[in-house]
Amino acid sequence: MRRAIVTAVVVTLCLTVGLSAAVKKYGKDLTLKETTKISDIYANPDSFNGKTVKVRGAIVEVCEMKGCWIALASDKEFQQMRFKADDGVIVFPLDAKGLTATVEGVVTVTVESEADQLEHGKKMAEEMKKPFDPKSVKGPKTTVMIKGEAAEVQ
Amino acid sequence: MNWRRLNNVLHRDIGYVAVGLTVVYGVSGIAVNHVRDWNPSYRVEKVALQIEPIRATDRAEIVAEARQKLGVTQPPRNTFRPDPDTLQLFFRDGNYTIDLPTGRVITERTRPRPVLYEFNQLHLNTPKRLWTWIADLYAVGLIVLAITGMFVLKGKTGITGRGAWLTGAGVLLPVFYWLYHLYVE
Repeated sequence: MRRAIVTAVVVTLCLTVGLSAAVKKYGKDLTLKETTKISDIYANPDSFNGKTVKVRGAIVEVCEMKGCWIALASDKEFQQMRFKADDGVIVFPLDAKGLTATVEGVVTVTVESEADQLEHGKKMAEEMKKPFDPKSVKGPKTTVMIKGEAAEVQ
Repeated sequence: MNWRRLNNVLHRDIGYVAVGLTVVYGVSGIAVNHVRDWNPSYRVEKVALQIEPIRATDRAEIVAEARQKLGVTQPPRNTFRPDPDTLQLFFRDGNYTIDLPTGRVITERTRPRPVLYEFNQLHLNTPKRLWTWIADLYAVGLIVLAITGMFVLKGKTGITGRGAWLTGAGVLLPVFYWLYHLYVE
């Protein structure tokens, strides 16, 4: 009996450690229960602007320079959304690409002018070490992102 | 024990304790300072491959065809299509970005740089929690080292002699740089 109890305790401890190691927390704890679909935010960004949401998706890009943002794949094809943390608050590891993240933050909708897009595009190209074609900028563009301080990656 | 002896003992012993941490912060500081030129924590290897173009149109079939043409048997942990012509496959040990119409593939493997990765994690306080306190204590230790260091020697080479000039130069360096940064740079 005593042996069985010890075995059960050891197995439970191993499972707990194993499970907690599988999910890595970044920043603050997630608080929201309901998960919002990224496609729902894109479908009606203005209604989400300024609201706190929790979204989930595969990590398809990580900021190479500071690890301060990740891009999450949407539930719909050809869509992704960026989750941005303040520099130094959360540092996402570069090898998190391909893992699944649940993040929580405030939806921020901004309209970027052509000049802003050119400046931002050059900066991003430098950060990600990718080419940037200024001709890809055609008129003002609405950008939707989530700014927050809580994420879980597994 | 007179005050100078106590000062020197403090300087010596805190100095010993600070050696390891100073190496970590110093090496990482140089590495992180040049983050625009390289990734100080990871080595990213990108290799171009060529496979036959992917003909399938359904997402699941595209993934299956891509895996078959790449010769990958394990299932990806995630897949993504940023646009209709591109498929990304994410595996534990690397990622593939495939241009479907041409079959051009970029493989990407990301590996933490040995030692530097750990140094940078500590320097940037990624672990937070207990390390925040250790880093704070180290910072206080450095301040104590700087202050006690001024009073280790007396006489011509001490703080009343050459030490005053060198300490002054060290204080003025950031002041002058900041003014230069504000008004010239």
